[in-house]
Amino acid sequence: MSEPSAIRYYDLRHVTGQGTLIDIDNGVVESAGTSFFNRAILRVLGPRGWGILQIDNFSLHSKKKFNSLLLSASRLASITQQDVHLSDATYRALDVPAMQEDPRDVSIEEKTGLLAKIEQAARHPRVVNTRANYIERSEHVTFSDSSGHEFSYEICRSGYNVLAVASRNGTVQMGFERRHSIMGFDLRHRQQDGEKAAQTAVALLDAGHAKGGRMQAVLDPELAGVFAHEAVGHASEGDLVQEGSSILSGKTGEQIGNERLTIIDDPSLPEFGFEPFDAEGVEVRRTEIIRNGVVNAFLHSRETLAAVGNGVAGHARASAAEPPLVRMSNTYIENGDATLDEIMAACDNGILLKGSRGGQVDPGRGIFQFNAEYGYLIENGACTKMVRDVSLAGEILSTLHDILLCGNDRTMHPGYCGKGGQSVPVSDGAPHVLLGNAVVGGSGVD
Amino acid sequence: MAWIDQALKEGSRLVDEVEIFYAEGVSVSADLKRKNVNIATRSEECGLGIRTIEKGRIGSSSTHDPKQWRKCLNAAIASGRLATPQQWGGLPKQSVSDTDLLCYDPSLTPDPQVAHGLLGQMLEGAARHPAEITSGSATLASATDIIANSSGLRYTSRHTGIYLSLDAIRDQSTGSEFAHSCFMDTDPSAVGERAAFLASHSVGGKDIASGNYDVLLSPIAYAELLGAAFIPALSGRNVHAGRSYLASRLGDEIIDGRISMYDDPLRSKGLVSGLWDAEGMPTKRVEFVRGGILASFAYDLRTAYRYGKESTASAIRNGATGGTAIGHHNFTVEGPRTSVADERVLYIHSLVGAHTANPMNGDFSVEISNAFWMEDGEFQVPVRSAMLTGNVFDMHKEIGGISEEDRQIGSMVLPSIRLISQRIIGK
Repeated sequence: MSEPSAIRYYDLRHVTGQGTLIDIDNGVVESAGTSFFNRAILRVLGPRGWGILQIDNFSLHSKKKFNSLLLSASRLASITQQDVHLSDATYRALDVPAMQEDPRDVSIEEKTGLLAKIEQAARHPRVVNTRANYIERSEHVTFSDSSGHEFSYEICRSGYNVLAVASRNGTVQMGFERRHSIMGFDLRHRQQDGEKAAQTAVALLDAGHAKGGRMQAVLDPELAGVFAHEAVGHASEGDLVQEGSSILSGKTGEQIGNERLTIIDDPSLPEFGFEPFDAEGVEVRRTEIIRNGVVNAFLHSRETLAAVGNGVAGHARASAAEPPLVRMSNTYIENGDATLDEIMAACDNGILLKGSRGGQVDPGRGIFQFNAEYGYLIENGACTKMVRDVSLAGEILSTLHDILLCGNDRTMHPGYCGKGGQSVPVSDGAPHVLLGNAVVGGSGVD
Repeated sequence: MAWIDQALKEGSRLVDEVEIFYAEGVSVSADLKRKNVNIATRSEECGLGIRTIEKGRIGSSSTHDPKQWRKCLNAAIASGRLATPQQWGGLPKQSVSDTDLLCYDPSLTPDPQVAHGLLGQMLEGAARHPAEITSGSATLASATDIIANSSGLRYTSRHTGIYLSLDAIRDQSTGSEFAHSCFMDTDPSAVGERAAFLASHSVGGKDIASGNYDVLLSPIAYAELLGAAFIPALSGRNVHAGRSYLASRLGDEIIDGRISMYDDPLRSKGLVSGLWDAEGMPTKRVEFVRGGILASFAYDLRTAYRYGKESTASAIRNGATGGTAIGHHNFTVEGPRTSVADERVLYIHSLVGAHTANPMNGDFSVEISNAFWMEDGEFQVPVRSAMLTGNVFDMHKEIGGISEEDRQIGSMVLPSIRLISQRIIGK
């Protein structure tokens, strides 16, 4: 049996707080309430690998109790076989950006009323369902480790989604808008998002199906951001590289994409994926994953940096009481110098893909897929017919060479990313990009 | 658990009705990094969810700390004050046995050494094929759920579970396999063997030209599409809210007349079997599609009362702190069984991006994984990369047959399904 003296390192991450959810469906307030959470994780590095305790409703009453938890975790670690080592790291906590208006200072009655206005704005004679959700999560995170590092922060993420469903003669289509932020309460005067969701849903009733196959594609900033996330970001995660399940393993220094392409992950950016320090207490920093088309660095935790090298730690993230995993935060394609007009002209004939319904990657196989909300055919450099249910798939290593132009109009878009059963807030972004030889999925035929 | 009675008593003085859902459990897991265990985890989970009903206004709240039940109760009542009032006919009374052990195996204990041993058996199975192991996991869990309400209902269910998974790679070909059960009846060696087989036999995949082909979806690929776009259309809430493609098709032949779809909550050894649903309603078989005809939708109490329907005991909970929703227990696809792989067919083991299917109209275009040409029931040449595109409702009118064997994938019990002339986009 291992004794606490065999412990090489431990850390404790405790997350408490409360969440507010409001759900308005076709004018009915289905729910508008608050819930409370309290979860902790204790990680112990034994002679070889990790022993981990995940505890709901955690409280630390005494040193004696903490020592008993350390002993329990070190007993778990005794069954591990892999020699885990941790890299050195720098420690620093960034300030959480100040909010313009703290959502916790706004009554739930007022929030419900403001959300209802956005939901009402999505109504239209062709729209058969309108739904809006407000999500607010306020977390107090404390971190301490056996090296004496102690940090804490409080962060409030809030935002909303609005959905409109249009129907005509058995055809059903949807429009969807969302806005989530760490910068404070943002429900006021947002009715235009409801109107836009309705306009998209109604317009899609008349959209056709894209004909699948290879073609030139222009990706809007939201979809190109998802492309960066799915096609490159996941494959650069150090744990996948360490396991041998990333196509980018062993590719450091290789030119894998067009020299116009630079892809960044930066948890220090004040966007939705911001972290003041990572889930191991480590300072967060910008990492250039791809620089001018060359594999430059991987995203790392302390463990994967020690095992793989090439990059910096500070990219470990975790849901409450879940083990830190190497994750993206704010991931984007760096601006190029092309204007949108130049990109459309260069495309000439192809397809413009807009918005995102999400995506997925098999990083070991190097295959990705993601879905646009809708698109337009491009003919002679101009948008023509609207198309729906169109997706894009490809092989990472060949596709990155086909990014022919990057625009100068990058924007960031919030979302959530799933991995290992955990979901963390992220943002993705890009300028408009021109992708040559894209494999577009759609059920249309000649 | 005296606090449960106290919370019900105090809540009943403040509102018409109160419902308490409390869950606690322990799980252990051992995780592989390549072939070595690098993490062993013990998880102690607990959570309390409270719903209150006052004059048709439904409120809810949750917490991880049962000692904070009073704060949680007050938050639920406050939440109800903002909710739109609706028709409400009352929480259920006790009507079946007070203990549910359908998913409980007393021999399954959360022991890290047992989890370690299961990983070893998976690795032994994987060694039968030339592939590298990238990651894997073995988890053993035991939990107790209590649901109680102010109508005197009090049910306790005990659950156990074993969860195995292994991921393998050879060159640029990946393979994954998993097994879930409530009982110690899984075959870890077979999980390992299958993951390594899929990785090693997918090497050297050939291109496929764009065109229409007969395809055979494994239960995994089939579950991904059903879960993303077909099953949401059976939810009574989506139907009445205008979010279901099937809303106006009750009584219509919506799929192949040989096929039926139903929920079987009392299935022996089902992964999600239970005597009652998440609101305490006694479960029963729910016929969604009978011989191709759309027969019914799924309802929880809230939706049934609102629209004048009967609850189908289809309320589910995503943990004590997750709230209730409409779902199913063991969603089953049934029909005449045939040999589906005798004639040449494109077998598709799994999909990349099935969750991006359009839940409103069923359209999808997704990447295929571990695909093979199959003939005489044997895997032949692997297919490297392609997209499958179509519509999840239409494809059920193009069925060539369903396999003789079923497999439980989470809350679905599915055969492999042969589909005629489906659109493939090659690269």
